[in-house]
Amino acid sequence: MERVPITVTVNGRRISAVVEPRMTLADFLREELGLTGTKLGCEHGVCGSCTVLWDGAAVRSCLVLAAQADGANITTIEGLATDGTLHPVQQAFWEAHALQCGFCTPGMVLTAVALLAENPNPSEEEIREALSGNLCRCTGYQNIVRAVQLAARHERAGT
Amino acid sequence: MSLQILPRGKWVGARVKRVEDPRFLTGEARYLADLQIPGTVHAAFVRSPYGHARIRRIDTSAARALPGVLAVFTAEDVATLPPLASGLPIEGLKPTPQTVLAKDKIRFIGEAVAVVVAENRYIAEDAAELVEVDYERLPAVTDAERAMAPDAPLLHEDLGTNVVYQKVTTLGDVDSAFAQADRIFRRRFHTNRFVAAPMETRGCLSVYERSSGQLTFYSSTQMPHMLRLFLSLFLGIPEHKVRVISPEVGGGFGQKMTIYPEEVVIAYLGKVLGRPVKWVEDRRENLAAATHAKEQIIELEAAVRNDGKVLGLKARLIGDGGAYSFNTASALIEPLAAAGIIPGVYDIQAYQHEVIAVCTNKAPVGAFRAVGWTAAQTARELFFDEIARELGLDPAEFRRRNVITSDQFPYTTITGMVYDSGSYQESLERALELVGYEELRRRQAELRQQGRYLGIGISLYVEPTAWGSEIALQAGFPFPSHDNATVTIDPTGKVRVAVSVHSHGQGHETTLAQVAAEILGVSIDDVIVEHGDTDRAPWGMGTYASRSAVIGGGMVALAAREVREKVLRVASRLLEVAPEDLDIQDGNVFVKGAPDRSLSLFQVAFAAYLDGRVRAEGEEPLLSATKFYDPRATYSNGCIVTVCEVDGETGTVHLDKIVAVEDCGTMLNPMIVEGQVMGAIAQGIGGALYEAMVYDENGQLLTDTFVTYALPTATEVPELIIEHLETPSPVTIGGIKGIGEGGLLAAPASVAGAVLDAIWPAGRAIEQLPLTPERVLAALGGETGV
Repeated sequence: MERVPITVTVNGRRISAVVEPRMTLADFLREELGLTGTKLGCEHGVCGSCTVLWDGAAVRSCLVLAAQADGANITTIEGLATDGTLHPVQQAFWEAHALQCGFCTPGMVLTAVALLAENPNPSEEEIREALSGNLCRCTGYQNIVRAVQLAARHERAGT
Repeated sequence: MSLQILPRGKWVGARVKRVEDPRFLTGEARYLADLQIPGTVHAAFVRSPYGHARIRRIDTSAARALPGVLAVFTAEDVATLPPLASGLPIEGLKPTPQTVLAKDKIRFIGEAVAVVVAENRYIAEDAAELVEVDYERLPAVTDAERAMAPDAPLLHEDLGTNVVYQKVTTLGDVDSAFAQADRIFRRRFHTNRFVAAPMETRGCLSVYERSSGQLTFYSSTQMPHMLRLFLSLFLGIPEHKVRVISPEVGGGFGQKMTIYPEEVVIAYLGKVLGRPVKWVEDRRENLAAATHAKEQIIELEAAVRNDGKVLGLKARLIGDGGAYSFNTASALIEPLAAAGIIPGVYDIQAYQHEVIAVCTNKAPVGAFRAVGWTAAQTARELFFDEIARELGLDPAEFRRRNVITSDQFPYTTITGMVYDSGSYQESLERALELVGYEELRRRQAELRQQGRYLGIGISLYVEPTAWGSEIALQAGFPFPSHDNATVTIDPTGKVRVAVSVHSHGQGHETTLAQVAAEILGVSIDDVIVEHGDTDRAPWGMGTYASRSAVIGGGMVALAAREVREKVLRVASRLLEVAPEDLDIQDGNVFVKGAPDRSLSLFQVAFAAYLDGRVRAEGEEPLLSATKFYDPRATYSNGCIVTVCEVDGETGTVHLDKIVAVEDCGTMLNPMIVEGQVMGAIAQGIGGALYEAMVYDENGQLLTDTFVTYALPTATEVPELIIEHLETPSPVTIGGIKGIGEGGLLAAPASVAGAVLDAIWPAGRAIEQLPLTPERVLAALGGETGV
């Protein structure tokens, strides 16, 4: 298999690499870049654990190839906090006890970030709808929904 | 031992944010798949595509020839490894040893027949597909009752039967109870086979150092010390040369408390190949080959008086154990645990149960949150709803007439469980009040007039917790255990707590720090809790069966207490006052009544380690203590009420809300208690409405993806209203009771009860869970035997 050259921006850093055509974006991030915060829960696009932001939109990195990401701007969970300060969504997840084992958390947080960027004032129903592509087996979702509501309030208040 | 050593105060009982959260929120947390050790090679298992077959021949030559492949192993190559066998010392339980790779025969789809090791996972999976296995397919049996028939295909031919356990037990005067009854009721339920499905699948990494003969084994496990012991025995490596590290674990729920054949194989490969070997299963493997749970056929019979009093019960419980009565678990765990809890919160004086465990061509059964109890609770509560209706009683009133009341504690059940304390009736009344029960019943009648189906389901439960020696015995599992904590104050006055219980989402780093902080008079910011590494944590069983708050909390309290006393003895010499006159708060040791006469914990600890003059005769310099705890049996309780509406056209269920009133005694951290309850209820919703492992008659698994095996999402879980009652246990340190399982124990009965209530009397026809739209519609259409 002929390897493919790509240039991709990950968490603000421009990276040039040569990848196997069949390597998924998730494996590229995890294995090649060491960004293991992106999780693999099903590898068939259902659980949402591998969610990353692709030009700001939530995307399942297990379903796209690294080669397709040429030119893209990717944000992973490692790129969210700035200078050691948690992103408002991360902070809200902490305050609302929206995580237990933590495995789904990176995907949940990034999905919530994408939602709030598009809709800063979502209803509970809209939040549940937006999160419905991400599975969590620990929390029962209620505290995750509350965390997103809390983050939305904080972001609107500019805190 | 004083049970009062753990007071409620600044930390115990507080809603403390979890100290472990930042590393999970930022992606820094490292799970098994995230570990990268130089030189690691990757394993992929070749798994059977059939449910029952003889292995005629395995050709590994093409796989071996693929560039990048290091080795392909089959059963022959691992013949020195002993088979896994049930560890339960129960008379009459037939052994079904399982070789770590299938030898001669496979008994369930997904059973591993070979393993490939390659330079990376992509190549390993390619090579696994090149392994050619010539199977002779055999007739399969995937129904437990059919498996009991004399002409059924046999899984383990040497046993001559698929029934690995069968025993009738009669407790109290059952014949009289049934003779005196006004009415006899009968009902059969087939509870669904569903699975823990932790978001992180299983995985392990074996690192063997040939020069020293030491094995470091990383595994996504709930019980690192048990795994170390088993690996030592299986591999013949002395235990002190085995170190097990359980890194961050992405959920377990019981599925990761089994010692798996794959773990033994990977550990062995690391040893013989001399390279680190890593295996991370994919979701399909997890759904097919990790343990399944909760499938039983339960037939109940009740002797009842016209006033609603239940005089006696009979139960026949058939556990569908899958292909092997599994090594550290057993096909027996489901029906045996269920038999013990059938009487539940009700005052039952006569009871007969028949417990049957059967092998079928399905994945082996293991633990999953509320083992056995989910099925028992579901069957009994749905049965009691039906009896109430037949007698013309409200289901709530029927429960009132049979529930054990608070003046009866301690209450010894007919099955030998000793309920220490609780709030059974109180939780029922409070849950009914919170949900607005009377008003809902009126509304239900109104809506029925309009052709709409509103339903209310009540599930009143008791939850055996604190799985130590005593409660295990009371629940029918004679398996002694203990756990240990080491609490150490270092020379700078900071606290390190090392525990044998294991956190995979439960928040022990916070709750156990709260316990230590409370007793030692420090902030939890000055406490670190360590777990999951056998070299750093003391020996113990690990985490399962709602044991860690009670056992972990108790053992940390005991060890912290001892360290506190040492600190006070050192400080008494420094301050020249009696230890009894000293107290510790906010990291300062001070004279009671004279707070200006104080020393920081740093000063005291520094002196303890480095100034021999403060050491009394016979005193050790280290401010450290290791204590064990094996608690008395304690039982939590609660009541879950579900309100739903069923769409009569489509058969779909809309959950309106769920109210859960729970009582786990003293709460270490109510926020974490609520998290446990809510998460377990969501799993219960899945079990009642969506989740089922389905096999066809050939043993083919039809639900091996998250598309076909559907977990609840944020849109399926309704508003959950949690309220706490707090009846401290009189028999445990601090009055703590466990809370891990109640939600999954009780929610399926509550949710299913609401659905059956909504469509009653059509609900009478349903005996199989989950309540899919097809089953609901069929019942509404008047079909029977669904």
